[in-house]
Amino acid sequence: MRHDLRVIRAVALKDIRSALTERLFTIISIVLPLNFLLLFLLFVLTGGEAPTAVVMDDTGPYGQQFLQALQTSHSFIIQQTDAATAQRLMAQGRIVAVITVPATFDAALQSGQSVSVPVAVNNLELDYTNDIRRAVPLAITSFYAQAFPDQVVVHAAEIDVQPYDTGYIEYLSVSIVVVSLLVGGLLQAGSNAAREYETGTIKELLLAPASRWAIEAGKVLAAVALNVLSAGLVLGVVVLVLQVRPTHWPELIGFTLLVMLTFVALGLLLGTLVRSRNAVVPLSLGLALPVFFISGAFGPVQWGTPVLATVAQLQPVYYAIAVFQYAFHGFQTTPFSVATNAIVLACFTLVIVSVSAIALRLRATP
Amino acid sequence: MDPAIELRGLSKRFGKLTALDDLSLVVQRGEIFGLLGPNGSGKTTIINILSGLSRPTAGQALVFGFDINRDPRAVRSLLGCVPQETALYEELSAQANLEFHADLYNVPGRERASRIAALLDLVQLTDRRNSRVSTFSGGMKRRLALARALLHAPQLLYLDEPTLGVDVQSRRALWDYILGLKDQGKTVLLTTNYLEEANALCDRLAILDRGHLVAMDTPAALKQRYGDSVIDLELESEPSAALLQALRDLPGVTDLTTHDGHLQVTASGERPLAGQVVTLVTNEARLRSISQREPNLDEIFLHLTGAALRD
Repeated sequence: MRHDLRVIRAVALKDIRSALTERLFTIISIVLPLNFLLLFLLFVLTGGEAPTAVVMDDTGPYGQQFLQALQTSHSFIIQQTDAATAQRLMAQGRIVAVITVPATFDAALQSGQSVSVPVAVNNLELDYTNDIRRAVPLAITSFYAQAFPDQVVVHAAEIDVQPYDTGYIEYLSVSIVVVSLLVGGLLQAGSNAAREYETGTIKELLLAPASRWAIEAGKVLAAVALNVLSAGLVLGVVVLVLQVRPTHWPELIGFTLLVMLTFVALGLLLGTLVRSRNAVVPLSLGLALPVFFISGAFGPVQWGTPVLATVAQLQPVYYAIAVFQYAFHGFQTTPFSVATNAIVLACFTLVIVSVSAIALRLRATP
Repeated sequence: MDPAIELRGLSKRFGKLTALDDLSLVVQRGEIFGLLGPNGSGKTTIINILSGLSRPTAGQALVFGFDINRDPRAVRSLLGCVPQETALYEELSAQANLEFHADLYNVPGRERASRIAALLDLVQLTDRRNSRVSTFSGGMKRRLALARALLHAPQLLYLDEPTLGVDVQSRRALWDYILGLKDQGKTVLLTTNYLEEANALCDRLAILDRGHLVAMDTPAALKQRYGDSVIDLELESEPSAALLQALRDLPGVTDLTTHDGHLQVTASGERPLAGQVVTLVTNEARLRSISQREPNLDEIFLHLTGAALRD
């Protein structure tokens, strides 16, 4: 037992020393997860709301109320302008739609007549087009309920499950933290393991009278230690820059370590199997992206198709996103309790490290 | 007392390929034993089995009485390896490499520093102990790998082509180290393709070919089996069939080859034959040059297997 602990410590220290001599690769491994975070956030920020011009030909009280309904619908980035400017912006491709409040708007409503609100849409991309098609009628309904409360007699009595609303960025950024840890873990541990084969030093490890399990455990610890920097950077951006504040700090620290252990173990297995750093890099990125998308990054997987939900539960990223959503927002995004999710992750880690040790033994001949 | 190595009917197959076929041999304690053979002869397979990196398909491998399949960790603790590619962490210093090895092999903490210092001194790398291994020459890396293999005081040392790519001066120094190990009672198993090296170091040699043991004996006995000496002659014209027959009929001639005016006569036994060979040859042809030497390993291997050693 004492020898095994000595081996774990020695392998971990050696891996850290070796990694620090390859500064460029180590820097990339640390910075790349941060790059993932920024990339996904850009994706969210650029795709959230449709830039729309509103031409107010009638500035009466009903017109103003309608404009307010549009502004509070969370679907448009409203720019109030005149008709000519709106046309120019549309021609330049800078806005998706032009909504015109007609000159007869107030008068028609006061006399109980119907009003047609022209909506010009640049329908070159269906997702944005559908956003406009859905959002304008909703804004009209919202306006109508406020302007004529006596006539709208059906109201939604909302009962919130969560104590507060969570924005798309706040929700998604937590999932992105998980994919960043996944990429960092796969790259760091995978390259550490593969380097032993590339340089032939795997013989030094395999010929030693040390348990394979202790060797793999040492490698996991080293990669986790190296990944702490990367995880710190990503969490720092999420907490300090994006202002997404965790509701459960101790759990966040514990789950970060647990999730790093799991993903690093996965990277170790990958590196042991492919034995080449050139293969580890594309495989890490290629594995991380699809797994991220099927694991409930954008919302609970159970809200999707049953097949997808079943597939998602077979891999650790699903449980990692669940424990992080709990630590940040207190959410339960899987049918299981947070403790169960954490236990499943720990089991994944143990199984993966054991499989790595077996792979090291079975594929012993360098 | 158990021998250092005992292989009993060892076989290893990779699919349809037979890397070792029912091989048996014994290496005694304190012996320097050489494994010779071309690529694919089974040398590496034997070493991989002995070090627990590969399991035999059939048969048994014992190291100091420990069955490698049943007790691989005990065998590994008795075995020190100097692989051909050295397997050193080039990004780390010599000292760091040795400290790491000491931890892997559980060298007692209180002895670690003194053993490392002594071995660095032995291989004359004390002044470079804090230098990165990547800055070392090939010879220095070999010496460091040897020091590392000795650090846990193994009873059996395996050296794979220990002087391959090493300059003459370093080669001599390495030979001295290896012979010194024998004096310390260590058993040494080495692979080499140099007869000079095998001659200088090995008590016995095993010649392998395609997983079979072709011959096993002392270097002197193996040379004698092929011939004690080789006489190379360069003639101005091709020798006649009558001359070749006359040479073959000389008592002690074991082999005769001719190629482009070159004549090679292999002889064994006590009687010197060079004089008689020259007399017969000069009766018929003009002689450009003559030299006499020991047979080399290629020739012995060719004689025993019908194939070149470095194929």
